[in-house]
Amino acid sequence: MTRKRFVILSLVPAIGLLATLALVSIAGAVWFALMNRTLRSPDYDFVGAYNFLRLLRDHRFFNALEISAIWELVTVTGTLVVAVLLAVLIYETVKKPLWRNLICFAFLVPVLLPRVAAAFIWRFLYSPSLGAINYLLGLVGIGPVEFLADPSLALISVAIVDIWQWGLFFTVILLKLMETLPKDPVEAAKLDNARTWEIHAYITLPMLKGPLISLALVKAVESLRSFDLIFVMTGGGPGTATETLDLYAYQMGINMGGRISYASAMSILLLIVTTVVFTIIWKAGKKWAN
Amino acid sequence: MAHIHCTDIVKSYGAHPVISGLNLDIPNHEFVVFLGPSGCGKSTMLRMIAGLEEVTGGRIEIGGTDVTDLPPGERGVAMVFQSYALYPHMSVADNITFGLRRQGVSKADIAPRLKQVAEVLGLENFLDRRPKNLSGGQQQRVAMARAMIKTPKVFLFDEPLSNLDAKLREKLRTEIRRMHLKLKTTTIFVTHDQLEAMTIADRIVLMRDGMIEQMGTPDEIFERPASRFVADFIGTPAMNFITAQLEPGLIAHSGSIRLQLSEVEFPSLKPGQEVELGLRPARMDLCEPGSANALTGEVVLVENMGAEGQVITEVDGAEISFVTQGFRDLSIGDTVHFTIRPEHIHVFDPKTGRSLRKD
Repeated sequence: MTRKRFVILSLVPAIGLLATLALVSIAGAVWFALMNRTLRSPDYDFVGAYNFLRLLRDHRFFNALEISAIWELVTVTGTLVVAVLLAVLIYETVKKPLWRNLICFAFLVPVLLPRVAAAFIWRFLYSPSLGAINYLLGLVGIGPVEFLADPSLALISVAIVDIWQWGLFFTVILLKLMETLPKDPVEAAKLDNARTWEIHAYITLPMLKGPLISLALVKAVESLRSFDLIFVMTGGGPGTATETLDLYAYQMGINMGGRISYASAMSILLLIVTTVVFTIIWKAGKKWAN
Repeated sequence: MAHIHCTDIVKSYGAHPVISGLNLDIPNHEFVVFLGPSGCGKSTMLRMIAGLEEVTGGRIEIGGTDVTDLPPGERGVAMVFQSYALYPHMSVADNITFGLRRQGVSKADIAPRLKQVAEVLGLENFLDRRPKNLSGGQQQRVAMARAMIKTPKVFLFDEPLSNLDAKLREKLRTEIRRMHLKLKTTTIFVTHDQLEAMTIADRIVLMRDGMIEQMGTPDEIFERPASRFVADFIGTPAMNFITAQLEPGLIAHSGSIRLQLSEVEFPSLKPGQEVELGLRPARMDLCEPGSANALTGEVVLVENMGAEGQVITEVDGAEISFVTQGFRDLSIGDTVHFTIRPEHIHVFDPKTGRSLRKD
């Protein structure tokens, strides 16, 4: 058997299975999106593009789209900024391997928590009457702050939980990556009169550009799947202040309306938008890395 | 003015001392080579002068300023690393000018200086390239340009040629030497290659186990080694060593070997004393049987080195080698006679390994 044939034969079953699973569900969603099915009634008609056209006139849909975009932007940049700052700080201040490993271990704990558990912990922390955060703010005369009930704070409050989970995890990854970098260029930079922040801004972080782009993409994909976190913490509220597209689709399709076709149309649109946006970002990232 | 003055330098990692109480003076404009086997502390010493390694004790002065506690960037030194240590994501031009930009030198001042060093090192056509698109020799030139453009008080080279092939190494060695003759900047060059040290240095600091074994010009180190260690380390092919007994008239006797020693060089030797003789292969040559200071042996192996050949012989069951141009007439099993002049024989104390030559 030639090598090429072996490769094809070993890949075909798995790829076939994955493709079937992906295509069947997408085809199913498209099929639903072209009808007017609801959970309440067994009757349905073929309605063509009606659901898609309605979406374009749905203000709540555009609100959800905006919230999703903001959520992506805040959690991805927040996670990376926190990870970069903490990694540099630890790299520069904690030199003993034992302490570093202990910190890394502690930083890994949040991401090991199930989303739902993390969400409940922070709901308590944020609570205006029982929460530790409001207790501390009360000591300095602030509050109580309605972190999750104030529409202007709710989204950022939930984002902080996401950044807490992933920013600390990425800190560990980044710190370990920094430890693998060759020491010589950093020493050369020291001799070149670079200050500590300049060494990281101009030497170490640019040397990690490739991994940083990959981390950003991983986080962007991960942020798309924050349904459980937002659902437990705010349920999309107050009002629609934290309602991302997947939450809105869930509300429409399962929770209140049962308008399964409308929700399917939304999912299809979400799939298309994500694919297009990610392709553009991926291409841009690759170009920039070179 | 940048003479370097190191006083009582101590360096230890934990309880393990690497350098214990080293004193060193390097005058302005001098090209000094730190030479020694791996682990002798020569690189550590260089890195301490650069400020990349903290001293455990002692003081370092550069140009009259105590730099012991100054960060590397403020010591006025520039360093070239064995690994080149270029910034991989920057163009050659950015690599070279990085230090000047960090010092806040204006763009208008940087451009002519960049042009000048690029010209000196033949890098004009590579300024826009990334380091990974250059050969090893070109990369090392970029590293040298990066050091030169800062017009430092001191150049530090940490085995800069070790990653290059033999031919390129020789070429760059000459370039570094020529550069020094022109710029006259005080330079410290670390290497474990004794030939490199001999060819490039004004003065060699030969180190062993964190101590200076001998300090002197290449000629002094080669002709008047202070110890058996130095004599063994310097020179290829390596020196022959023979343990011998002294007889009246300053004759060293060992088996069939009887060698006349120089009374001028070794006035302190006494008959009956046991000594270790050092015979450089390159200082011996073929002779007629019965000549003065002749040794007689059987040829074991002949190594062709081009113009000359190393002849390895067996004398009284021990191997002694010498170098001769007449090696082509010799074949294995021949009996050969070869000789050495008394002033070329080195004598060491077999216990301490120190040379017994008068100071």
